[in-house]
Amino acid sequence: MVEFWNSYLLPTVIILAQILAIVVPMLIAMAYLTLYERKVMGAMQLRKGPNVVGLFGMLQPFADGAKLFFKETIIPTGANKFLFLLAPMITFFLALIAWAVIPFDDGWVLADINVGILYLFAISSLGVYGIIISGWASNSRYPFLGALRSAAQMVSYEVSIGFVIITVLLCVGSLNLSEIVRAQSGDLGILNWYFIPLFPMFIIFFVSILAETNRHPFDLPESEAELVAGYQTEYSSMAFALFFLGEYMNMILMCALCTILFLGGWLPPVDIAPFNWIPGVIWFGIKVAALLFVFIWVRATLPRYRYDQLMRLGWKVFLPISLFWVVVTAGFLVAFDMVPA
Amino acid sequence: MGLIDKQARSLLLGEIVQGMAKTFSYMFKNKATVNYPYEKGPLSPRFRGEHALRRYSNGEERCIACKLCEAACPALAITIDAEPREDGSRRTTRYDIDMTKCIYCGFCQEACPVDAIVEGPNFEFATETREELFYDKDKLLANGDRWEQEIAQNLNADTPYR
Amino acid sequence: MPTLNVDGVEVTVENGATVLQACEEAGAEIPRFCYHERLSIAGNCRMCLVEMEKAPKLVASCAMPAADGMVIHTNTEKVKNGREGAMEFLLINHPLDCPICDQGGECDLQDQSMYYGSGNSRYDETKRAVKEKNMGPLIKTTMTRCIHCTRCVRFATEVAGVDELGALNRGENTEIVTYLEEALNSELSGNIIDLCPVGALTSKPYAFTARPWELRKTESVDALDAVGANIRIDSKGQEVMRILPRLNEEINEEWLSDRSRFSYDGLKRQRLDSPYVRKDGKLQAASWSEALQVVADKLNATEAGKIGAITGDIVDAESMKALKDLMDAFEVTSVDCRQDGAKLDASVRSSYLFNSTIAGIEDADALLIVGSNPRYEASLINARIRKRWKKGPFPIGLIGEDVDLTYAREYIGAGAKSLEDVANGKHSFAEVLKKAERPMIIIGQGALTREDGAAILALAKKIADDTGMIGADWNGFNVLHTAASRVAGLDLGLVPGEGGKDVAGMLAAAEAGEMEVVYLLGADEIDTSKLEKAFVIYQGSHGDAGAHVADVILPGVAYTEKDGLWVNTEGRPQLSTRAVFGPGEAREDWTIIRALSEVAGKTLPYNTMEELRAKMVEVAPHFADVDMVTAAAWGDFGAAGNVSDVPFTNPISDNYLTNAISRASGIMAECSQAFAADSEEGTGTHG
Repeated sequence: MVEFWNSYLLPTVIILAQILAIVVPMLIAMAYLTLYERKVMGAMQLRKGPNVVGLFGMLQPFADGAKLFFKETIIPTGANKFLFLLAPMITFFLALIAWAVIPFDDGWVLADINVGILYLFAISSLGVYGIIISGWASNSRYPFLGALRSAAQMVSYEVSIGFVIITVLLCVGSLNLSEIVRAQSGDLGILNWYFIPLFPMFIIFFVSILAETNRHPFDLPESEAELVAGYQTEYSSMAFALFFLGEYMNMILMCALCTILFLGGWLPPVDIAPFNWIPGVIWFGIKVAALLFVFIWVRATLPRYRYDQLMRLGWKVFLPISLFWVVVTAGFLVAFDMVPA
Repeated sequence: MGLIDKQARSLLLGEIVQGMAKTFSYMFKNKATVNYPYEKGPLSPRFRGEHALRRYSNGEERCIACKLCEAACPALAITIDAEPREDGSRRTTRYDIDMTKCIYCGFCQEACPVDAIVEGPNFEFATETREELFYDKDKLLANGDRWEQEIAQNLNADTPYR
Repeated sequence: MPTLNVDGVEVTVENGATVLQACEEAGAEIPRFCYHERLSIAGNCRMCLVEMEKAPKLVASCAMPAADGMVIHTNTEKVKNGREGAMEFLLINHPLDCPICDQGGECDLQDQSMYYGSGNSRYDETKRAVKEKNMGPLIKTTMTRCIHCTRCVRFATEVAGVDELGALNRGENTEIVTYLEEALNSELSGNIIDLCPVGALTSKPYAFTARPWELRKTESVDALDAVGANIRIDSKGQEVMRILPRLNEEINEEWLSDRSRFSYDGLKRQRLDSPYVRKDGKLQAASWSEALQVVADKLNATEAGKIGAITGDIVDAESMKALKDLMDAFEVTSVDCRQDGAKLDASVRSSYLFNSTIAGIEDADALLIVGSNPRYEASLINARIRKRWKKGPFPIGLIGEDVDLTYAREYIGAGAKSLEDVANGKHSFAEVLKKAERPMIIIGQGALTREDGAAILALAKKIADDTGMIGADWNGFNVLHTAASRVAGLDLGLVPGEGGKDVAGMLAAAEAGEMEVVYLLGADEIDTSKLEKAFVIYQGSHGDAGAHVADVILPGVAYTEKDGLWVNTEGRPQLSTRAVFGPGEAREDWTIIRALSEVAGKTLPYNTMEELRAKMVEVAPHFADVDMVTAAAWGDFGAAGNVSDVPFTNPISDNYLTNAISRASGIMAECSQAFAADSEEGTGTHG
C-alpha cells in the first residue's frame, strides 16, 4: 500500500497540484488580460475604460465571467450538436496543455521534455481543429467563412514561425525550452538575448504570432464588419466563454514563447544586484506583460488587413525573408565555427 | 533610388512606428470620458428622446387625433384610433407608439399641428421586457405630465428658429 | 357647334356647352367648387376664372356659354392672380381646422389651395362662426367651414327632389339651412357629403374614425337592393369604415342611396361567427366538422320530398348555384328563391327583368308604375325617373299606394282593378301610353307577391302588348325587384321543380309537419314561426329571424366579405370583391355548401370559383358577359284570371330596415326612428 502510495498516488497528487498551480494563476492572468486590454485601449482612445465594478474596475472580469456563465446556451437547430459543443472544448483544452512545457523560472516547469519546442508547435497546429470544427458544426455561413479564413491564416503563418524557430534552434542546439533560455544567459545580460542578433527574426516572429492568434491587424476570421463574429457567431454563454478563454490563453502562451526564444525567459536584463535579487518568475511575467502590451498597442493603432494582403505578407514576404535568414544564420555559424555542440 | 527608398521604408516599418508613437502619446493625455450615471453631457433643446403627449395648462389633452404623425412616421411606429368624445370633440381612443420600431427622427413632432406629441429630453427609459416599450396613450400622457416643464422650456428655446 | 381656341388648342364643343367644358375638352384643368356636371350652374365660387380675349375682365368659365371664335387662356399670370384672389376670399372665413376636419386629405379646398392658392394670408380680422345645423342622424354639419357653393342645395332640389335645403341671408351672413331645422328627409341625402367640396357636410357615422390615406379601397357592388349600384368599400384593417358610390353611368351615375351607404355598421353586429348546433333546445357553438356532419346526416336520413330549400335576398349567385346543385344531388325539388312569394315565371327571362334598363328610362316618354314605391325600393331608379321627368314632358301614372315620388304623377288607383281599367282602355292613361313612342311600365313586388300575382302579371303583359311597349329596339316592360339575389336565382332556376313546393307551400307543409328539413340560405323575410316543427338549417351572415328558428347554423359571410356574382334587376351580372375577411369561423357561402356536399357523400364537381362560374355559365350563358345587359326575348307569361280589388301594398314599409344587415345596423335604426317620427308629425307638404 505504501509502495503504491509512493510510486503512483503521490506523484499523481503532486502532478495534479502542479497543474492546478499553473492553471489557476493562468486563468486569473487571462481574466486580467481582458481588463488590461480594455484599460490600455481606453487610455489610447482618451477613455477611462471600465471603472465601475470594483476599484478601478478590478472586478470587471469577474462580472463579465458571471454574466457569460448565466447566459443561455443556444444551439442552432441546424447545428451538429456534438461537434458544436466539442469545438470550444478542444480550443480551450489545447490552450491549457501547451503550458506544460513552459519554464517560468529555472526548473519551474511541469514537463521539462527535451522536445519542448516541437511539442508546442504540434499543439498550436492542432488549434486549427477547434476553429474549423466550430465553423462547420454551426451550419451557418458566417462561421464557416470565418473558420476557413482562420484555418488558412494559421497554417500560412505557422510556416514562417517554424523557420524563425529554426534560426533560434541553430543558435542554441537544443529543443528544450529551458536550454534555450540558459543559452541566452551570460555576463552581458540583455545583450546576450537573441532578439539582438536575430532582430529581424524577432520582428517576424512577433508579427506572425499576431496572425497566429487572430489578433489585430490580422483578425479577419472574426472581422465584425464582414462576418459578424466569424466562427464564434453562433456561440453564446459558456461555449463562447471557452473560445474566448482559449484565445486569450493562446495570446499569453505565444508571448511567453516569444519571451523564451528572444527575451531571455526568466533572466534579469542585467545580472547584478539588485536585479538578480528579483525572482526569475517575476522577470518572466514582466517580459510577457510587456509583449502583451504591444499586442494591445498594435490593436489600438493599426487598421485591419485585407485578406489578400494578409496572405501576400505571409507567403511572399515573411517566408522568403525567414528562409533567407536561416541560411544566413547557418552560414554565419559555420563560417565562424560557432555551431553549438 | 525611389524604389530602394520605398522598399527600405517599408521594410523598416517606418509608418507603423510613427503610428504606434502617436497612439502611445495619447495614453497620457487627459481623458474625455464623462462619468455617465453620475455626470451627464449637455442636451440641445432639439434633443429627440422619449415621446410624450402634452396637455394644455387646463388639463385638456392637446392631441386632436388628426393622424398626421401616424402618416408622417417613416417607421410606422404610431397607431391611432379615434372617435368623437362625449362632448363631440375629436379625440383619440388609442395612441400607441412602438418604441422598438421608432427611429427617433422627430417627424411626428414636426407634423403635429398642436405640439401634442413631442420627443422630450428623457433618454433613460430602458426596460426589462420588450412589452414595456409598447407605449400606450396613458403612458405617453404620463410622460407628458412628468416632463412638461422641460419640454415647454425646450420648445420655448427653439421657437425663434422655427 | 362652336369652335374655340383654348391655350392654342382648337376645340369644337356641343351647342350649349360652357367655356369650362370646352377647356376640359382641350385638356386644360380648371379649378372649381360650385360647378358640378350633374347639377345646374350656379357660378358663385369664382374659382373657375379664365382669361378671354376681348373681355375686359376674367370670366367665370362655368357660367359662360361657349361661342364660336372665343380665345381662352387658362395659364396666364392674370388667371393665376385671379385664382389666388378668389381663393383668398374663400379662405377669409374658412377656419384653419384641417387637422380635426374629416374632409382633410380628400378636400377640394385643401388641394386647390395647395395648387392655386398664394401660400400666405393677408387677413387678420376675426373670422365668422356659424351655428351647426341639424341635418339628421347621417349628416354632420360644421357650417363654419361652408364656402357657399350651394352644391348641396342644388342636389336636394334637383336630384333628390326635396326642397328642404336652402341658403338664407346674403353676403357674409349667408347660411345653408334646412329651413325648419329638421333632418333632411331624403333617401339620397348621403350624396351631399360627397358633393360638399369642403368639410361642412361630413358623414356622422364615419366621424373622426379614419383618414382617407389609411383606408384600403375595394371596388365592389352593392347588394342591399336590386339596383346593383357600384360602390367603393373603404376598409381599415378588418373593418369596413365607409361605403362610397363609384361612377357607373349605366346604373347609379355617381349617387348612392342612404341604405346602401350607411348600413355598413350592420356588418359588425349580430354576426354569426361560429357554427351552432341546437342541443337540448339551445343553440351551442360547435366545430365546422361537427355542424356539417349533423346537417349531412339529417339530409341523408330524410326522404327527398320532405326537404326544402329557400334562398334569401342577399345571396350571391355562386352560393345559389351550389345549393341548387346540392339539392339536385339529393333529388329535392322544393327549391325556391322567391322568398317574398312573387308570382314570377323563371322560364321567360324578359318576364322578370327591368328590360328597359336604368339608363333607358331617359329615353322613355311615358311611364306607368304599378304597386311600387321606387323611391324606397330602388332610390337610384327613382332618381333616374326624376331626371327624365325634369327634362321635359313625361306623363307618369301610379297605381298602388299614393306616395310622394318627388315628381308629378297622375294617381290612377289603389289596386288591381285600376290596372284592369288601364288594360281595357277604360282609363285615360291608356291613351297616354298608346300615344307615347316609348312607353314603359314598372311593376313592383307589391303587385306580384299577392295571390293574384300571376293574373296581374298577365294584365301588365297585356298593357305592354297593347300600347306598343315591345318593339325592335325598345322593351318597356319592367319588373322592379327589391332583392339583389332574385334575378340571379331565377336565372339559375331556383324555382320548384316537378312536384316541388314553393315558399308558401313549404311553409305550410312545415307547419303541418310534412316538411322535415328546411335549408334557409340567408332567408329571413319569411314567416319563421311556421318552421318550428321542421329541422331548420340556416346559412347566413346575421343572427336574424332565420337563425332564431335554426337547428344548425352555418356562418357565412356578408356581401363585402366575398367575391361573388350579382345580377341586378336589369339582368346585369356584376362582380363584387372581397374587402375584408368574415368574422371568426365564417366562410364564403359556396365553399360551405361544397364542404357539406363532401361530408354528405355527394361531392359537387367544382373546387374553385372559376370551375363553379363555368358551371353557372352553362345554365345562364349571359353570366359570362359581366357588366353587360343581355336583352331577353319577349315571350308568353302570366296567367289570365280574376284579380281581387284589395289595394296594392308596397313591399317596403320602412326604408331603413329592409334586410338582415340594415336591421343589425345602429345607424339605420336611428334613421328609422328619426324619419318615422318625422312623418308622423308631417307638415302636409310631403306625399
